[in-house]
This record gives sequence, C-alpha cells and structure tokens, in this order.
Amino acid sequence: MDEDSTILTEACSGLALHKADGQVYHAHYMLKEFRTLGPYIRQHWYRYLLGILCLLLVDSAQLLIPQYIQRSIDAVAAGQARSAVLAIVVWLLGTAALVAAGRFLWRFFIHGASRRIERDLRDKLFGRLMTLPMKFFQDNSVGDLMARATNDMQNIRMASGMAFVAFFDGVFMSLAILAVMFARHPATALWVVIPLPLITLLIIFFGRFLGRRFKVVQERYADMSTVVQESLQGIRVVKSFVKEDYFSRRFGLANDRYRDASMAVVRLYGLFFPLITFLAGLTTLLLLLVGGGAVLENRMSPGNLAAMLAYLEMLVWPMVGAGFTVNMIQRGAVSLKRINEILHLAPEAELAAAVVGESGDQGDQGGASLMATSRAAAAVPTAVPTGAAGHLEIRDLSFTYPGTATPALSSVSLRLPAGQTLGLLGRIGSGKSTLLKMLPRIVEPPRASLLIGGRDIGSYCLADLRQAIGFVPQESFLFSDSIRHNVCFACPDLSAARFSEVLRISALERDIDLFADGWETMVGERGLTLSGGQKQRVAIARALARNPQILVFDDALSAVDAGTEELILAGILADRAGKTNIIVSNRVSTLQRADLIAVLDDGGLIQFGPPAELIRQDGFYAETAALQELAHHVAEGRD
Amino acid sequence: MANFFDSDEILKSFDWPIVRRILAFVRPHKLLLACTVLSLALSTVGSLFLPLISRRIVDGSLMVSSVSLPRQVLDDERFRGLPGLDKAVTIGDRLFVRRSDLSGLPAASRAALLADGALDEAPCYVVAWAEAADLPASLRGDLGSCLPDFGQALAGPVWLDGALVLPEARLLALSPPEARQLRRADFTTLRRDGLWFLVSLALVLAATFGQTWSTSLTGQYVMKDLRLQLFRRTAGQSIGFLSRQPVGRLVTRLTSDVETINEFFTNVLVSFVKDGSVMVGVIIVLFAMSPRLATVVLLSLPPVFIASTVSRQKARDAFRKQRTLLSRVNAFIAEHICGVNIVKLFGRERAVAADFSVDNHGLMKASLAEMYVFATFRPLIEFFSATSTAAVLYYGAGLHRSGLISLGALIAFVNLIRMFYAPVQDLSEKFTILQSAMAGGERVFSLLDTDQALPDRPVASLAAGVRGHIEFDQVWFAYKQEDWVLKDISFTVEPGQTLAIVGSTGAGKSTVVNLLPRLWDIQRGYIKLDGTSIVDLPLAAVRTAVRPVLQDVFLFSGTIAENIALGLPLERSQVEAAARTVHAHEFVERLPDGYDTRLGEGAATLSAGQRQLLSFARVVAHNPAIIVLDEATSSVDTETERLIQAGLAGLMQGRTTIAIAHRLSTIKHADRILVLAEGRLAEQGSHDELIALRGLYYNLYRLQYERKGATA
Repeated sequence: MDEDSTILTEACSGLALHKADGQVYHAHYMLKEFRTLGPYIRQHWYRYLLGILCLLLVDSAQLLIPQYIQRSIDAVAAGQARSAVLAIVVWLLGTAALVAAGRFLWRFFIHGASRRIERDLRDKLFGRLMTLPMKFFQDNSVGDLMARATNDMQNIRMASGMAFVAFFDGVFMSLAILAVMFARHPATALWVVIPLPLITLLIIFFGRFLGRRFKVVQERYADMSTVVQESLQGIRVVKSFVKEDYFSRRFGLANDRYRDASMAVVRLYGLFFPLITFLAGLTTLLLLLVGGGAVLENRMSPGNLAAMLAYLEMLVWPMVGAGFTVNMIQRGAVSLKRINEILHLAPEAELAAAVVGESGDQGDQGGASLMATSRAAAAVPTAVPTGAAGHLEIRDLSFTYPGTATPALSSVSLRLPAGQTLGLLGRIGSGKSTLLKMLPRIVEPPRASLLIGGRDIGSYCLADLRQAIGFVPQESFLFSDSIRHNVCFACPDLSAARFSEVLRISALERDIDLFADGWETMVGERGLTLSGGQKQRVAIARALARNPQILVFDDALSAVDAGTEELILAGILADRAGKTNIIVSNRVSTLQRADLIAVLDDGGLIQFGPPAELIRQDGFYAETAALQELAHHVAEGRD
Repeated sequence: MANFFDSDEILKSFDWPIVRRILAFVRPHKLLLACTVLSLALSTVGSLFLPLISRRIVDGSLMVSSVSLPRQVLDDERFRGLPGLDKAVTIGDRLFVRRSDLSGLPAASRAALLADGALDEAPCYVVAWAEAADLPASLRGDLGSCLPDFGQALAGPVWLDGALVLPEARLLALSPPEARQLRRADFTTLRRDGLWFLVSLALVLAATFGQTWSTSLTGQYVMKDLRLQLFRRTAGQSIGFLSRQPVGRLVTRLTSDVETINEFFTNVLVSFVKDGSVMVGVIIVLFAMSPRLATVVLLSLPPVFIASTVSRQKARDAFRKQRTLLSRVNAFIAEHICGVNIVKLFGRERAVAADFSVDNHGLMKASLAEMYVFATFRPLIEFFSATSTAAVLYYGAGLHRSGLISLGALIAFVNLIRMFYAPVQDLSEKFTILQSAMAGGERVFSLLDTDQALPDRPVASLAAGVRGHIEFDQVWFAYKQEDWVLKDISFTVEPGQTLAIVGSTGAGKSTVVNLLPRLWDIQRGYIKLDGTSIVDLPLAAVRTAVRPVLQDVFLFSGTIAENIALGLPLERSQVEAAARTVHAHEFVERLPDGYDTRLGEGAATLSAGQRQLLSFARVVAHNPAIIVLDEATSSVDTETERLIQAGLAGLMQGRTTIAIAHRLSTIKHADRILVLAEGRLAEQGSHDELIALRGLYYNLYRLQYERKGATA
C-alpha cells in the first residue's frame, strides 16, 4: 500500500509516454532478458536488501495503524476516559513517524540503486555506440537510437526500481492483510476479497489493450508531425503552387485522425481508474453488507468492522501494484532487449581486425569497464610511420558500394611521396569522397590497394591509423560546446601556444570580437550560430591542432571567400612543412599550391602530375583553370 | 532530432495572459465545458457521499443505542425545536432518541437537560411497532410490561404499547439467529443504504469517466484549433523567415509544445478544480458534522501548507535541474550519433564516452536530488495525515463522551481526513506540469504572434488570360543585407519564348527561380508580369501564373495521383493526361498500384529521373502560363536523360519559360541565352551569336556542356 500513488503515477506516465508495445512476452523470455540486469543488481545488492528491509518494516508498521484507530474507536465507544485514548493515539503517532522514516529510507535505497543502474547502463550504451562501425549509423535512424537511449532506459529504470518495490510491497502487504482479515473474521474476509483479484486482472488486461491503442495514437501523432515536417520542408512547393489551404486541410485531417485515436484511448483509459475505484468501492460495500450483518447478529464488534474497512482500503493498492508490476516488467524486458541488441554488437575495431585477419592483442575501444570484450584478433600495433617513410600509395584501387552497379572507383593508382601535398579535382560523384573516406577506413578499402609506408592500411591498428590522420570533412560538423572545446576536440591538452597558432592559421583569430565569451563562446544548438565559413575554419583548426601525419581536406574552404582561402592555405602549407596533405577543391587557385594533382572522373584517374605540368596539358584541369580565370575577369571588368 | 535539443524545459510560473489565451480556445466548446463541469460536480458530490453513507450505515443500522427523556421535555420552552428530538419515539411517558440523532444537540441545551436530570444516558435498544410473536424466545421469559422510573436502570426487556425496549447489554448477549430476528428492520435499512452506496459508486464511475472524456475531447479540439492556426500562420510566413528556422524546431512547436498545453487541460485544470473542490467539500462536510472537531482538523493543517509550499519550490528547482541535465545528456547522445564520423575520424570514442560519463553522472545526481525531495515530502504528508487523525481521535473521544458526536461521525471524520490529504501530494506534482504547460504556451503563442509574411497588398489585378510577358528591370537582390547575389539585372521575355540562364556555380542563376513567383522580394528594381510589377499584384495570382520547377524535387507522402493534383479536383483522366504530356505515364503505369502507388517513407522508391517527371506532371496539371525551370545538376543515366528531355519538351510547350539550364538541349532550344557571372549579366544572345563572341559562354559551353551533350 505504500507508494500507491507513486507506482500509479509513474506506471501511468509510463503508459502514456512509452506507449507500451502491446506485445506479450513469456515469463521465461522476460527472465532471460532480465539476466542482463543481474550483474547490476548484484552490484547494488546491499541497497536492494536494505530497501526491502525498510519496505517490509514500513508495511508491518502500517498494518498497526488501523489497529490503533480501531482501539481508539472501541475505547471511545466503550466510553473510556480521554487519557486511555491518549495512550493509544501516542502509539499511533510513534508508528506513523516510524513509517515516514522507513518510507524515506526505502526510496533512498531502491530508487538510488535503480538510478545508478540507469546511469551505468546508459554509460555502457553510449560507450558502445561510439565504437560501432559507420554502417551501423547508416542503417539505423537517429530517432530509433535516441528512443533506446531515452524511453527504453526509463522503462528499465522503472523495472529495476518501481517494479521491484511494487512486487515486494504487493506480495507482502496482500498476504499480511489477507492474513489479518481472515484472522479477524474469516467468513466476512472471504466475501470481501472476491473482487480484489479482478483489479489485478483488470490492470493486466488494460495494459495490453491500452498498449495497442497507444501505438495507434503514436502512429497518428507521427503522421501529424510528418505532415507538418513535409509541408515545411516542401514549403517552396507549397507556396509556389499556392497550396497553403490544401496542406492546412491535410493537416486538419491528420489532426482529426489523431483525435479519434486519442479518444479511443480515453474511452478505455478514462474507464481505468474509475473502474478501480468502483471495484474498490464494491469491496467496501460487500464489507459493509456482510460485516454489517455480522455486527447486527452480534458476531463481530463494530470496532472490528471499522478496522477491517481500513485494512480493505490498504489492500486495494497492492492489487493495483501487482497489475502494474506485470506491465512494468514486460515493458522493461522489451526495452532491455532493445538495449542488449546494441550491447551485443561487435565494435568496429573487432570487425576491422577480423577483416585483416592478423592476430594480436588490442585494447577494447569501448572503454566501458563492465563489458568483457571477446578477444579481438587485431592488427599488430605498429605505429604509422612518420617522415619520409610515410609515403602514400594507391595500387589499382577499384571499389563498388554494395548494392550498386557502377563502381565508385576503378583502377586508381598513384604514389604520393611523404611530405607532399596532393590536390584532388573532379565533378560531383567522381569518387573523390569515397577515396578520402578509405584513408581512415570509414569505408574499408580492398586489401593491399591503399598503403602507407609500404604497408596495407588494413594492417595498422585502427586507432593508430586514425591518430595519424587529420580530417576536415566537407560538411563541417561541430559539437554544441565552446569553440575551444571544438578546436581541442582531438587533443584536450593542447598547449596554449599551439592553440593560438592554429587559430591564427585558420583565420579564426580575427573573428574573436564576434564571440561574446571569446573562445569559450558556446556554438551550435544551444549557443551562437556560426556561419558556414566560420564552421569550416573551426573544423580546420580542429584538424590542425593534432598536427597529424596526413591532413585530409575535403573541399573544406568552399564557404570562405577567395582572399581568406589564399591566406589560410598559405598558413597551412607553411605549418605543415614536411607532412603530407590531401586537398580536394574545385578552385584552381587552391589546387595550384599542391605538389601533385590528381583529376578523377567517373571513378577513374584521368590526369595526374604537378600543376605546372597539368596546366600545359589539354584537359579538364587546364579548362577549369581557364574558365575560372575568365569568369573572374568578366565580373571584375563589369564591377 | 531537433526535439532532443529543444526539450530544454524552461519552467515558468503561473502566467495569467497565457492562461487567458489558452482558455479563449475553449470558448467555442461551451457544451463540452458544461458537460465537464456537470460531471465534475457529480463525481465530487458522489465521492463525498460515499463516506457519509457508510457513516449512516454504522450509525443508523449497526450502532443503534438510544437514550430516553421524559415526555414533558417536549412542552418545555427551552427545548422546543431542538435538533434530534423530532426523531424521538414515544413509549409510555418517555421519549427514546438515538444517540447519533442527539449528537447535533447544542452544548448548552445538553447541559440543561443533564442538569434537569431529564436525560437518561443508559444505552438501550428500541424496536418500535414490533409483533410480540417476533420477539426472540430468550427475551420472552423476563419480558416486563412497564418502564422503570426515570433515573432507575433498565434491568431487562420491556414490552409496552407494541414497542420493545432492551438494555444494550441484553441485545449484545443475543444469539445470532435471535439478533437477526429482532433486528430485521435494521437489516432492511442496511440493505437500503447499501443500495444507495452502490448507486453513488456507479454515479462516481459514470461521472468520472464523463469528466475524463469531456476534458480530453475539449483538449483535443483546442489542440486542433491551435495547431491549425499555427500551421496557417507558419505556412504564411516568408521563405526568408522559414529558411532561418530549423524545420525541427517548428515541428516541435506545432506538435509537442501544443501537447503540453493539452496537459494543462486534461491534467492540471481538472485536478485543480476537482481536488480543490474535494478539499473544500471535505471541510464543509466536517463542519456540518461537528464544528468543534472540524476546527481541530483545521488547526492541524498549517504544517501541511508550509511543507507543501517548501516542497513545491524545492521540487521545482530539482525538476528544472534534472530536466536541464536530461536534455543535455540526450542532446549529447543525439549530437554524437549525428557527428559520430568526427568522433571516429579523430579516434575520440573513449574520450567522448568519458565526457558523457560526467554529464550522465550529473544527471543521476540531479535525479537523485529530485527523488529525495519527493521521498521526503510524501512520507511527511502521510505523517501529517496521521497527526490530524490522532488529534481527531483524541478530541473526538472527549466530544463523544459528552454526547456531542456520534461514533459514526467520528469514523467518518477519520475517513474524510484521508480524503482531504490524498490530493495534497497530487497538487504539488500537478504544479510542475502546469509550469511546463506555461512554458510550452509561451513558445506556441510567440510563434503565433510572429508575422513575417511578405506584404500582399495588391493595387492591380491580373487579367484572366495571362500572356506571359516578363520583364526584369534593374533588379538587385541579396538574401541578406548588402551581400548582392544579383546586381542590376535587366532582361525581357516575350510570351511563349524560352530564355536560358547559364553561368558557373555561384553566379546567382538559381536565385531567379525564387524571385519571379515572389518567394523572395527584391530590394531594388522591378519584376513585371504582363507589364505590372509583381508586388502590385495579388500574391496568389502571381504564383498561379508562374510555377517554378525546382531542382530538388519534393514529393509529399501520399499517392502519385495526389502528388500530381495537390488537391486540385482532377479526374483520373486529367491526371493521366498531365502525366502523358511529360512522358511520366509510361513508368507510372508499370508500378504495381499505378497512380495509387504510395510515396514516402517505407513506400515505393523512385529514381531521380522519375521524380523529376512527376514534378513536371504536377506543373502541367496546374497549367501555368509561365514556368521557371531549375534543372537538376545531378548526373543521371542515359535512359533517364532521354526521358527527362522528352518530358521537358512537353512541359515547356506553349509556355513562357525561364530555364536555369544545365542541359545542352535546353540551352540550344532556347530563344535567348543569358550568361551570368558573379551576379552580373555578362553576355546575352542566341547560341550561335554567343559562340561567335568567343567569350564566357563559349568557354563554359566547351567545358561544361559539350561533354555532357556528347553523351546525351
């Protein structure tokens, strides 16, 4: 009976928020999923133990309270002195104080444990997510992964906290109260408890039906937001076809459908609590009739009746709790299954190691301590060679994405000596990005087709390989954190000198006046919105900060004006003397700074050589150069 | 995704202007509102009735001891009209009154009665109008036939004037069958009151359901009205405004923020009214039963109010902190899933997991802190409830001894106190929901109050048959401030002509598509349609006359036919005709469901070329006089290219066309070609003229179009 309303509100908010799956799982299946929780529960065993002890203490003390009330009333009925009543009332208050303390303590222990478990599990989930290969993120939507990290986590917290409490509370209180009632008046008790199991059944039944209807509500809600989302994403179509009214009607219809589904839930859900109250009231009525009859027939004292009334009221909530326990555990099991699906996936490092097939030891990239990673067959931990030894070689590289017919790259071969800069030019879809993604093995290249220092990149351990590369992607993704954090993302202990150096090179320094809190200014969703050019420059600083062996630059200056671009490039090339760079750009002014230029077209290498040589050749590079020169002159002349 | 960033809950305190605006949306639903109020009242009354009925059962049927008074009391001026005396039964020269009936007696009158020696408090049981044959055998033996003198104890049963008076001890000594026989009337009352109890229960059941139903329906109607208003308002804003707003954030405003307002209806408002009225109702009933004992209860309440005020503040702070951290943790996860490639490229998996642990740990601490507030508050309130009960029992004992309160009333007090305390915990929690509803309301209304629509103040109208004459007159345009994308552009297109615009990337070509249908307004110069500036024409008329064909085709979820018609009342044959014109019919027909094939997530996927053709068909179905075509740059296979070219021919036939051209065929078939360079008009003329010029176009042509043209 303790925790009645908490169980209820939490369980119901659960129903409303997570819109239970409505799936029914067998008990053994549930238990199997719950075994995952075993180590966590064992880790907090003393919390659970103390919590349960407090809970049982509270429950027992609670049973005394109606007795005190009964004795007071009997004393009053017998016309005893107030002092006699006072003595009982003092006991009542003492017990109530004990109950209050116990209630605080069991929450302290059990909720404390379940929230710690939630934290550990979330840590573990996130740690594992970060180690999964890119393909995983292409195959799974952010929305689904987020649902696992939020709703499913909450379900598990409920199952490891509230369900636990509800279970012990329910079993103990039901048995104890039934025992007391039967001891007091077996015949009456027998009659009275008849409707009680109905309450439990009702809740289980409701849980299942509601689950289904909630699912419909959820779908309709999603439909509704799809209409909004589509209308806003396609707002140019909506506006230019003057279809505001049409889409507003569509939205209205989606609203109506959502309303109908919601009301279908209300028709059931709205009956739920009133029905519990009704059934509970029915037991009271039965007690009044049967017990009242017994009083009339001198078979029971009036005080006894009053006490049984009080006990009866206490019995209702454990019955409700029992129903919710079943629902909560079911939901928790489904959620745990969804979490386990991710936890059981092999991290990228293991997969990468398996690709190479060489044996050796490698640390688990996941970092979550509880996770016993299976021994990974991994690459020999050889550092990526630096200096002149680190030349890059592409040997007859052909690659076709799974599920597509045309190859993204076909028979590309080139050699870039260490410390040189390679410029890459090509149309959209010519294979530049694929080539770049193979370098840090975001896309796994075929064996022995991409070599650093004469060794297949697949034979380096993934962490070492990526450590050697600084990547500036085409789309500059920054995290919602300070500018400093973003720049120092790869190397948190960057020296102050290097920090200001990379800011200078990436031409961020001159923007400092625009940032209210200097380099501590928060950017992104919860801070300042940076312009495309600013983002690109932060991304450049981020890559430069780690001073990588190889710098990869994927058209990362497109949003910067030509003058700034010149400045940044000059700075970068000076900074990177003796190190390798790969720069993708469509601007000849950028490319001409490279030592070697490769032109890709339809996945094949069509031109390769120093810029001075290519500009003399009749080909794509020279034509592009001429065109850009001309357009610039025309515009200049007109201005 | 935006949801995860946007869930940053800012709790507001109660805000009247927002509540008033929300309530304004309820006004049209008066009937439902009346339904809510009625069912609310019924369920409140019903739930207050229940303890009263059980009190009546205890007092009226189970505990029926009476006391007696001399009959002369009725003639006494002092006692005339005293409550309870009217229910007295006259037996011989005495009045018998149930103790519970006398509990309402004013203390002074009671004292006077006792002082006069008129009140005989020895408890006895009275059965009026019984048949002698019905008397239990054990009583018949010593059945007396006259009452003892007043003041002398009643020793045994007395049978007088068809009524039986029995000392209470003798009643309790009866065997069950005898007691049942004697107390038949009490059984009847018990059953009758039980029926009332059942009726009240059913009433509460029906009324509570009715109330939930009607408030939910009201909430749903309000949400729909609000959402539609928001939708119309948002869709009416300028593209300039909308392009600055993340779509996710707007979607959140229209969906989940509105949902928090619904919470206000279904959860908060009703609870406040219901719990409030239950609490007030309980106090009223308590005072009606016993003003003195009710005062005792009232005096025990101040600690409750103090505790709930303090805990509400603490809970709010704790909740706010927990929510902030929760949304930070969720945003962290969402963001690192989106940017997982950065994490991987820099090999920071371990490091971000460690950073995450810090936030995650903070979240746990905050949620523990929140839990402690509730873990303290709830037991404390329960304890206060026990304190009130104890006080009532203690003072009630005294009152009962003085006959000022019946036992049933005392039991009812104990129950009512529980009823009073139940909502106390609830109300505090509802307060938090109220606060987030306020915050949601504020965001929703601020969007509703935003007006960023393009001005639509026509001073001229467009003739029914639009000729399709277009003039750009010294047009300057910038998306923001002075960052000119188009500089001083002038040209004209005669009706039915085709104009191709070419230029290198970033030359400002695509901007033209936005300007002619007035998706954006230009800063300087004029754009004229059939000789009238488009800002002087009705916006809808301009957009009906000019249809852009956009580079990235946007298809809505729905069937292919719906995507072509977009709500136009077209026959299937008309849809097909439009599709045939652009050669889309062939591939649509090959789809399993033809024109009824559903598009969108998880449905049939179309190739880029097919999508292009559908967007052409859509334009043809709407039959504009002018089209502005932004050709897709993405490379397509030869077959698709052939299809698109055929489609384009159908699309452009008989219409004034401005094409942002990437295809050689489009350019070659144009009547005139405009060459843009960095926002300025560099060259214009026919293909042959421009080739002869050997300028920018000549080079562009060779580099960008010739190769593609050769393959196409």
